[in-house]
Amino acid sequence: MLQCIFLLSDSGEVMLEKQLTGHRVDRSICAWFWEQAISQGDSFKLQPVIASPTHYLFQVVREGITYLACTQVEMPPLMAIEFLCRVADVLSDYLGGLNEDVIKDNFIIVYELLDEMIDNGFPLTTEPNILREMIAQPNIVSKVLSVVTGNSSNVSETRPGATASCVPWRTTDPKYANNEVYVDLVEEMDATINRDGVLVKCEIYGEVQVNSHLSGLPDLTLSFANTSILDDVRFHPCVRFRPWESNQILSFVPPDGQFKLMSYRVKKLKSTPIYVKPQLTSGGGTCRVDVLVGIRNDPGKTIDSITVQFQLPHCILSADMTSNHGTVNILANKTCLWSIGRIPKDKAPSMSGTLVLETGLERLHVFPTFQVAFRVMGVALSGLQIDKLDLKNLPNRPYKGFRALTRAGEFEVRS
Amino acid sequence: MAPPAQSQRSPSPSQPSGKGEVSDLKSQLRQLAGSRAPGIDDSKRELFKKVISYMTVGIDVSSLFGEMVMCSATSDIVLKKMCYLYVGNYAKVNPDLALLTINFLQRDCKDEDPMIRGLALRSLCSLRVANLVEYLVGPLGSGLKDNNNYVRTVAVMGVLKLYHISASTCVDADFPAMLKHSMLNDSDAQVVANCLSALQEIWSSEASSSEEASREREALLSKPVVYYFLNRIKEFSEWAQCLVLELVGKYVPSETSEIFDIMNLLEDRLQHANGAVVLATIKVFLQLTLSMTDVHQQVYERIKAPLLTLVSSGSPEQSYAVLSHLHLLVMRAPFIFSSDYKHFYCQYNEPSYVKKLKLEMLTAVANESNTYEIVTELCEYAANVDIPIARESIRAVGKIALQQYDVNAIVDRLLQFLEMEKDYVTAEALVLVKDLLRKYPQWSQDCIAVVGNISSKNIQEPKAKAALIWMLGEYSQDMHDAPYILESLIENWEDEHSAEVRLHLLTAVMKCFFKRPPETQKALGAALAAGLADFHQDVHDRALFYYRLLQYNVSVAQRVVDPPKQAVSVFADTQSSEIKDRIFDEFNSLSVVYQKPSYMFTDKEHRGPFEFSDELGHLSIGAESTGTVVPAQRVEANDKDLLLSVSEKEESGGPSNNASAYSAPSYDGSSVSAAASSQMLSELAISSVTGHASQSSLAIDDLLGLGLPVAPAPAPSPPLLKLNSKAVLDPGTFQQKWRQLPISLSQVYFSTMT
Repeated sequence: MLQCIFLLSDSGEVMLEKQLTGHRVDRSICAWFWEQAISQGDSFKLQPVIASPTHYLFQVVREGITYLACTQVEMPPLMAIEFLCRVADVLSDYLGGLNEDVIKDNFIIVYELLDEMIDNGFPLTTEPNILREMIAQPNIVSKVLSVVTGNSSNVSETRPGATASCVPWRTTDPKYANNEVYVDLVEEMDATINRDGVLVKCEIYGEVQVNSHLSGLPDLTLSFANTSILDDVRFHPCVRFRPWESNQILSFVPPDGQFKLMSYRVKKLKSTPIYVKPQLTSGGGTCRVDVLVGIRNDPGKTIDSITVQFQLPHCILSADMTSNHGTVNILANKTCLWSIGRIPKDKAPSMSGTLVLETGLERLHVFPTFQVAFRVMGVALSGLQIDKLDLKNLPNRPYKGFRALTRAGEFEVRS
Repeated sequence: MAPPAQSQRSPSPSQPSGKGEVSDLKSQLRQLAGSRAPGIDDSKRELFKKVISYMTVGIDVSSLFGEMVMCSATSDIVLKKMCYLYVGNYAKVNPDLALLTINFLQRDCKDEDPMIRGLALRSLCSLRVANLVEYLVGPLGSGLKDNNNYVRTVAVMGVLKLYHISASTCVDADFPAMLKHSMLNDSDAQVVANCLSALQEIWSSEASSSEEASREREALLSKPVVYYFLNRIKEFSEWAQCLVLELVGKYVPSETSEIFDIMNLLEDRLQHANGAVVLATIKVFLQLTLSMTDVHQQVYERIKAPLLTLVSSGSPEQSYAVLSHLHLLVMRAPFIFSSDYKHFYCQYNEPSYVKKLKLEMLTAVANESNTYEIVTELCEYAANVDIPIARESIRAVGKIALQQYDVNAIVDRLLQFLEMEKDYVTAEALVLVKDLLRKYPQWSQDCIAVVGNISSKNIQEPKAKAALIWMLGEYSQDMHDAPYILESLIENWEDEHSAEVRLHLLTAVMKCFFKRPPETQKALGAALAAGLADFHQDVHDRALFYYRLLQYNVSVAQRVVDPPKQAVSVFADTQSSEIKDRIFDEFNSLSVVYQKPSYMFTDKEHRGPFEFSDELGHLSIGAESTGTVVPAQRVEANDKDLLLSVSEKEESGGPSNNASAYSAPSYDGSSVSAAASSQMLSELAISSVTGHASQSSLAIDDLLGLGLPVAPAPAPSPPLLKLNSKAVLDPGTFQQKWRQLPISLSQVYFSTMT
């Protein structure tokens, strides 16, 4: 039961205030919040649930904008946080990216959206498709249209039909000249390699993203070749549960446009596509750093966008790092970023250099953690494979497209 | 009124100053009001937009109310929406002018476009002006019967809003019964869900005064109603599903077969994309199976995977909320999660509050099979850049050592920490070695050898210094130069700022004296002299006490100060199991995030839906803005007694000040630890003021570790309303007493404060 939602800019200014119940929440709560946020620094800013003297505050920060919700009664915290996340998603979807100016320019739309998304403190609908039917998006087309027709109302003529339909996530009867559907497997690999070079944890978090432009009410069936590897799955509400339970088949009537059909987790993977071997030796007031990168387990496709970065410890005065491949940059926040790109055929990329420690320090006591990023197009490293996609209830043959992508998530190597 | 106050407080250069612009707008609106020229809507829209943007930044534009209402005659829906927004914001302070808007809102409620009907009805109910309620009943009644579901959805919420403005009007118009009818018969799931949430609120607040309402509230939890909702659950939106699941969580099935039916029906909800739904389902599962031990265990196994997925997917904010719940479950049943310990490994990028939770979970799930790996992992964190986390992880290693049988490897690791030559690592490790020695005295030889090499000059932190001094005193026989180290510490008595360290120093030098009298005599004399001259009351008292004890009889003194000790078998837990159970009952609520049951941080009237007063909110905010800055400590205190803080603090500073001295639950059961002694000494001071001689003697016995139980519970709580500033009452009891006070009292109190 939320009482009020505030949108704050990154300087703490209240950009928008939406009272939800009769119990008005005074704006001064934002001033209180901001004072706390400044005085307590980052640790406080990140804390999603905060108790103020009068209210509980939930906060979610996206692109420098703080979404602050207040309540005085007990409620499921995840519900408030999920809702704020959805608000952020819907707004950024609607306004095409988010920043302070966009919100200020479009605050009427933001008000309209919030009005439909939550009533009397209880979330109503956050389904973008339904919202889009009630409140038109301020896109270029409608801008052109308004110039031509002189009618700049951003409310569509149609009424919320989907709210009445039996598949609430789908617009009633969209029509496309070209029917097409794209299925993407997007995976993130989280791995931790400890000081001794042992892979202590390696997991994949994956999503099946679907972009569907299909007329009418199509019925889709998606099956995988090897569902047994999946550890846990979560579905979009459109997925029917029974076919999955009995045959591991995804049967669903898709929403229109881009959506996340399923997310899954695969744990206990045995190996990573690349290796990163850092070596630190310190003594006599300096520290010698050597980092080697190479392919450990060739996935069959090119690995690109490889970067390795680490935070320089505070006790370091200067750093001089060079590499035999790619570029090394020391960023303003004392992060050393080595952009490798692709691994060349003829040599193994390596970075080396010396860190000069603060005077008085003999050896380095803190060991930096190296964060690795990479991307592999065309392969899902978990091994999950799409078997086939069947479409029913369609007037003509649609185009089906499949893609896969794996990138590094929290891939870290300790030294 | 909020907005103007804000604009005065923080005038930002980018914001218009207000006055001139507002009057400008006023005249422009006037010009447009009567005009019917084509394109007028566009210029109106620009103006309205300006007005609302002023309102948004906090400038008071309520003076434009009349003009805005005049301009509101339009067919443009965006204009209408802006107008509704404006009216909704200012009607409460302009009740007379709000009457003007009723007319056009009522007309819009009969518009042929359902969208406009709905919007108008929503705005009408959002005016919240008490003397306009009579105009609401008609439109709401027809709204509930509207053939469009959007209008009905809005109307149901409208009824609830009406109830909050004027409960009697709402009940008299028989709206609750109409809602009940729609709830059980409407074809639209959102309408049904809104009815449920409205009825829950209305009936719970009516229940105290009306028997019928409380019967109705009970009926919501009856089998047919719950099954009706369960059967329709897939029709509901994800948010409404949360609501239904909450209802089901309160339902008590009469047969075991029902439990399985419900769980079967809801199982797929665990796979829902919305984390709130998943968590609400988990709560239902846990609640239903509470009495069936083995099924309950299976439920844990079943929910493990969804929870772990929720943690690893989603935004950091979401995973924190989930992690708090996971934390609760891990603490309840660590053995179930012991094979998943790798999920609790910390990632470099995670915020420190997440790491902290994870460290606690790692500590909890450690068992014979995974201890080695967990400790290895924890040791890597000790070299972490994030110092608080490095400290936490060392403490975690220590905790694991204290809960395991085979501590061989762990002790080696701890001793390695001591050799790392990093001041905070050494400090934490020292404290742990001390605790370890109290539990496993057999390790003393190994530990003492390493501890003896540590120079006391390198240790700054009071806790670590106190630990080192304790070990020096306790093992002065085995540590060759213990008396001399103590002596040099006593020489620097003046530079020692922490009373805790000085207290330990006194005790340690006493113990050392009993074991090696000739070497220590001089140091003891110096210490007692310094202690007697000490300005700190506790230190002074202890020195005096030792002095007199030695005068009386040295062997008695030895029996008192340095008795043979028994190894501590279990260190007391910080949280009682009763409290943990309470938190578990409140699964999927804020209690879990705060790790406190709700009665500790919210008071009774706020637990029920919506019974709070506006005044409360305004009052404390006002108090803050007059006082300079809110001190952080106050916020901390508010965790305990949120919402009541202002009144409580004002009325009785005593009990809440005492709270720090009486944080009894966290007392770790040590016999002569400094914290305990100082606590008892302070208690002694208090009780000597109040003249309870018997209690003070007890406290001394206790202080000396004679094996008597920890200080007896404070004197029985004084009768209500006689809270004097010296009241000896622990915070928990005080809270309970306070909650029992009639609400009217606090109301009166607010008025006297303002």
